[in-house]
Amino acid sequence: MKKIMVGNHAVSWGVMLSRAEVISAYPITPQTTIVEELSVLCADGRLKAKFIPVESEHSAMACCVGASAAGVRTFTATSGQGLALMHEMLHWASGARLPIVMATVNRALGSPWNIWGEQTDSLAQRDTGWLQLYCESNQEVLDTTIQAFKIAEKIQLPVMLNLDAFFLSHTAEAVEIPEQHVVDSFLPRYKPTYRLDPKDPHSFGCLTPPEYFMEFRYKIQQAMLYGQEVSRQVDEEFGQSFGRKYGLIEAYRCQGADLILVTSGTISSTARVVVDNLRDKGRKVGMVKVRLFRPFPKKELLEVFRDAEKVAVVDRNVSFGVGGVFAHELRAAFCNEKVHPPIFSYIAGLGGRDVTPQVLNDIVYQTYKRSWPEEQSVWVGMNT
Amino acid sequence: MSNQIIFKREEEMPYLPISLASMAWNKTGNWRYLKPQFENKIPPCNEGCPAGQDIEGAMFLIGEGKVLEAWELFKEENPFPGVCGRVCFHPCESSCNRKDFDEAVSINALERFLADTASRQGKRLSLKRERRKEKIAVIGSGPAGLTCAYHLTRLGYGVTVFESLPVLGGMLRVGIPEYRLPKKTLEEEIDQILELGVKVEVNAHFGRDFLLSDLKEYQAIFLAMGSHRSKNLGIPGEKAEGVMSGVEFLKDINQGKEVRLGKRVAVIGGGNTAFDAARTALRLGAKPFILYRRTREEIPALAAEIMEAEEEGIEISYLVSPVRLMVENGKVSRLECLKNRLGPADEDGRRRPIEIKGSNFFLEVDQVIAAIGEEADLSALPKKIGWKENVILADERGATKQRGVFAGGDIIQQPRTVVHAIGSGKRAAIFIDCFLKGNQWEGLFDVLRIGERGSLSIKRYLQGEEERRPLSNKTVRLKDLNLDYFDYKKRKKMPKAQISKRLESFAEVNLGFSEETAREEAGRCFNCGVCNLCDNCYIFCPDVAIQKQDDSQVIDYDHCKGCGICVEECPRDALVLVEERK
Repeated sequence: MKKIMVGNHAVSWGVMLSRAEVISAYPITPQTTIVEELSVLCADGRLKAKFIPVESEHSAMACCVGASAAGVRTFTATSGQGLALMHEMLHWASGARLPIVMATVNRALGSPWNIWGEQTDSLAQRDTGWLQLYCESNQEVLDTTIQAFKIAEKIQLPVMLNLDAFFLSHTAEAVEIPEQHVVDSFLPRYKPTYRLDPKDPHSFGCLTPPEYFMEFRYKIQQAMLYGQEVSRQVDEEFGQSFGRKYGLIEAYRCQGADLILVTSGTISSTARVVVDNLRDKGRKVGMVKVRLFRPFPKKELLEVFRDAEKVAVVDRNVSFGVGGVFAHELRAAFCNEKVHPPIFSYIAGLGGRDVTPQVLNDIVYQTYKRSWPEEQSVWVGMNT
Repeated sequence: MSNQIIFKREEEMPYLPISLASMAWNKTGNWRYLKPQFENKIPPCNEGCPAGQDIEGAMFLIGEGKVLEAWELFKEENPFPGVCGRVCFHPCESSCNRKDFDEAVSINALERFLADTASRQGKRLSLKRERRKEKIAVIGSGPAGLTCAYHLTRLGYGVTVFESLPVLGGMLRVGIPEYRLPKKTLEEEIDQILELGVKVEVNAHFGRDFLLSDLKEYQAIFLAMGSHRSKNLGIPGEKAEGVMSGVEFLKDINQGKEVRLGKRVAVIGGGNTAFDAARTALRLGAKPFILYRRTREEIPALAAEIMEAEEEGIEISYLVSPVRLMVENGKVSRLECLKNRLGPADEDGRRRPIEIKGSNFFLEVDQVIAAIGEEADLSALPKKIGWKENVILADERGATKQRGVFAGGDIIQQPRTVVHAIGSGKRAAIFIDCFLKGNQWEGLFDVLRIGERGSLSIKRYLQGEEERRPLSNKTVRLKDLNLDYFDYKKRKKMPKAQISKRLESFAEVNLGFSEETAREEAGRCFNCGVCNLCDNCYIFCPDVAIQKQDDSQVIDYDHCKGCGICVEECPRDALVLVEERK
């Protein structure tokens, strides 16, 4: 069955189909309609979950930590400032090895106030031990929500799925709604190894001395690396069950390309059009959409870039003092590779500014024109 | 206690940080610099009660449905909860911390409730005592005398009470009208005292029928004759027919004598006697009115009594002083009055009335009842007892200057209330016991006092040194409570008889609480300073160092780190944080 729905509702429906048992959240634009829809689904009985309204995002995540430790499938959603407020609890959730799933509707952080799309909020949480997935369409949003629970529960780490403010969150598209029974067999009931249980009392996250702390951190790192393999498997299985799969990255018309654009989220859709137009004109341009950001799919990317001469990364985010985060991650990932193409870094579309085909064309031509990347990220689409 | 688990390799460890055994081996108590301790303090109501009743304790018991236990708790200190539950001016309620939060707990009505419940169920006191050979004479059977007799009997002494009237109870019996204090209630509580073995001699008028020198067989004497002599108005015509004192009037009515009043009855005065007299006259079919020389601000009667009098339609004229009674055919017929204005405050802090010259006016009257105050008649006492202006100068024990002679109630320097009389009777019993045993008494106040306002606990006295829990010297105030844990809740009001019903008879005006109302009202008590096992400390302790045992909470000092959260989260200031001494 297809249904016209906005990206936020695609998240809500994905959560419903995944049969989450506890949802705790605090409203924030542009995320609000995710939990609004979920509260409706809970209220009318379509989703049998405990919906816990709280007074802040910090509490929302604390609530999820408790619920997940009690052994139930747990979900929350937030945006921008709300995610920033959650920061402390994000570390706790991963440290406690809790498979919480969260949707982040990417929104620029103040000051100054801005409610529009930008990925700096989620990318600023890249060191918190959460897996991060970035989505391009409402269908991908719904599908990734279901996948996220399966990945999280397999590796016992929390997963964050990201969607662009307004471009996805508030834009309606046709979305294929999977059958519940198929989702149920793809994603069985969560069975934790350990859970809070008065009949079998344990202390969770108790004080751990230097003699043991590093070992716990090492286990998280191992799980995170394993998460890459699990994400690939889960996506494969999803494809078998539902006929759709997305990969950890998606290479679009990269065959024989001398220049590859690297994008994430909705900019990818615009990039597809730009690549098609340039290919029509005989330019050998391709595009790679990065879907899994944490853990970073270095091997897959290197494989795609093998024959490219140049890579141009479009970042809708900024790490001040460094530049675009995706570009920075790529450079770091490849620096020990003997052979790899030079990585050009561009910043575009901050605070919800449109990244139009002209902006992407400009990036392509600037990259062709330069023989070697500028040291700093180049800002494109600025007012002149 | 479990042992520590040692992991040698990373693979041995669970994937998530979870305890696999108890951490009790880790005695975190030695990290402590501050130490929480349970320490019950003084609830302000207990401090405020001159009779020294454990009010907080009774509120807790009523809330638990243990009404008879609450009654027994009150009875430990005061033989008259049924009386006090009706006529006490309840300083406990004006001390109640709840009054600055929403409204004071309705303690007075609850005291009555527990006494009424005990009465309905025919509850009697049980008493274990060893008999002592000494005998004590108590002169006067009012609340002070009978309370003293009650406690002395419980202490094992043989007590004889001498009463000048044919009936027992003093002012409780002859001064307070039936509609405020039913005779049945009073008689029951007196009977319970007599059942302990107190002897009484009625119609034995001190000064007329016997003197102190006739009491040689007694090793101690307690003087509690009360103040029964009305003060004179001091105006021309007051000896005429149709003029009587309030005390005399109430005494006659309360003893069943017939009193003929005219229609228009002027009651002069603003104390409880004046209001009792006016409301009694109303019930006898007269049309009484009250004349008071100051304003409603200064009036000494209980607020509730003034309100009830107004409800019943009694007119109260303020700033009026009588100056002359005019007599016609040998009987009073008109009352000449002056209007006053208020001048500066006098010694007791109340503003003095100043007569306005030429403001004279006349009132037609059939009867005048003078109720401007009572005084003691101490003329039969030897001077060496030590008294001045009809007041005995007793020391802090209630002892007079004559060895073995103690005094209490309205004849000593203290407020003239029922509950102060009860408190002084109890105090005398304690120190008579000390006197007869030849014990030191100086240190006793520190051990027995409940707060700083003079109340003493005989329960503590009877306990003996080893059983007594240490007594805090701190009275809990509103600022000491963690008010986050309390909800606003309206005070329950006692139902009253309809006004039309009241005027037809001397039936009781206030009708008492139902059990449900009583439990709900008692549940409003903050239990200031006293652990009521609310479990907040248990819930909040991050180290599970509060342990529940039968009827108490115990701190596990092996593991308490002294963070103080229990102290902070205690709603009622029943925990303190002290410096750890190692």
